Amino acid sequence: MPGTKLWGRAAAPQVGILVFLGLAAGCSTTPPPPEEMARTVTETAPADLQLMCASAAAAPSGVDSAKILPTGSRRVDARTFNVDLDAGGRKFACLIDDSGTVTSVQPA
Amino acid sequence: MTKDMDPMFPGAIARGRAATRAALTVMLAAMVALGPLAAYAAGTQIYDSKTKKWVDYDSRKARQYYARNNQAPEAFRRQVVTFRTAERPGTIIIDGNQHFLYLVQPGNQAIRYGIGVGREGFGWAGIVRVGRTAEWPTWTPPAEMVARDPNAAKWAAGMPGGPENPLGARALYLYEGDQDTIYRIHGTAEPWTIGLDVSSGCIRMINDDIIDLHSRIEVGAKVIVLMQGAALYKGV
Repeated sequence: MPGTKLWGRAAAPQVGILVFLGLAAGCSTTPPPPEEMARTVTETAPADLQLMCASAAAAPSGVDSAKILPTGSRRVDARTFNVDLDAGGRKFACLIDDSGTVTSVQPA
Repeated sequence: MTKDMDPMFPGAIARGRAATRAALTVMLAAMVALGPLAAYAAGTQIYDSKTKKWVDYDSRKARQYYARNNQAPEAFRRQVVTFRTAERPGTIIIDGNQHFLYLVQPGNQAIRYGIGVGREGFGWAGIVRVGRTAEWPTWTPPAEMVARDPNAAKWAAGMPGGPENPLGARALYLYEGDQDTIYRIHGTAEPWTIGLDVSSGCIRMINDDIIDLHSRIEVGAKVIVLMQGAALYKGV
């Protein structure tokens, strides 16, 4: 297919640039700060965000926030975590972003 | 000195968990001594600055790291971190998944310590409090352990506190209401186990850190234990 051949020749410089940029990016990967040099494969929400969700669930659940416990968490997307909550036996799901803004608290 | 890990432990976790508690008590005492043999960290990785890669952190890696550096990886060392919370200063928060214990400070900060926590199936969660504390607590192995292990048998009446004692320099006894939960935050004679899932539910810290934490908290301090993996939920 002539078109394919033409594309291959035309794209060669761009591919080379991309490969170079990829290698350069790999070489210049910034290490995490010392306090972040440990992680878990299954990413859970930071502890403070889990507790912020517990506080936010006090109003909709009618339960004292001191008695609301995060029971699980997971990353939803690049900026958002889902936190499962137990409020006196009732289950709630909280969405919170990594800046600490609670976007929703709903019965699970 | 205070006795600990007595299989005839008098406390009770509510909600019909007496049998589980009894079993946990026995296993707890055994695993305090034997924990590292079964040590692993479920999914924990540390960043290797030399290879610039994330590497699995298991008991073998942990021993190697400690042998080379005489301390745990930097992430597990005591440090002040930003911690946004409405909890009062003096509250302890335990994140077993990440192997961190936070002591809330004023101004949205916390002192973060590295910890070793319960291995798979031995994690738990709940809101408890520090019921009492002890310096250089005595460790008493359960009868079953005494019967099968000559090394434990010599401590049947209690191993005095000291650097070789599995409970380390200090112990904070966690209570639910007025009942001892059997769980403790304590020191360790095996500092390389920080960052691993090694225990039967206790939270272990290096001795310097448990001494530091003990000096900063008050009896009655609130302790929030976040869910670790598929942990048992102890209620609030």
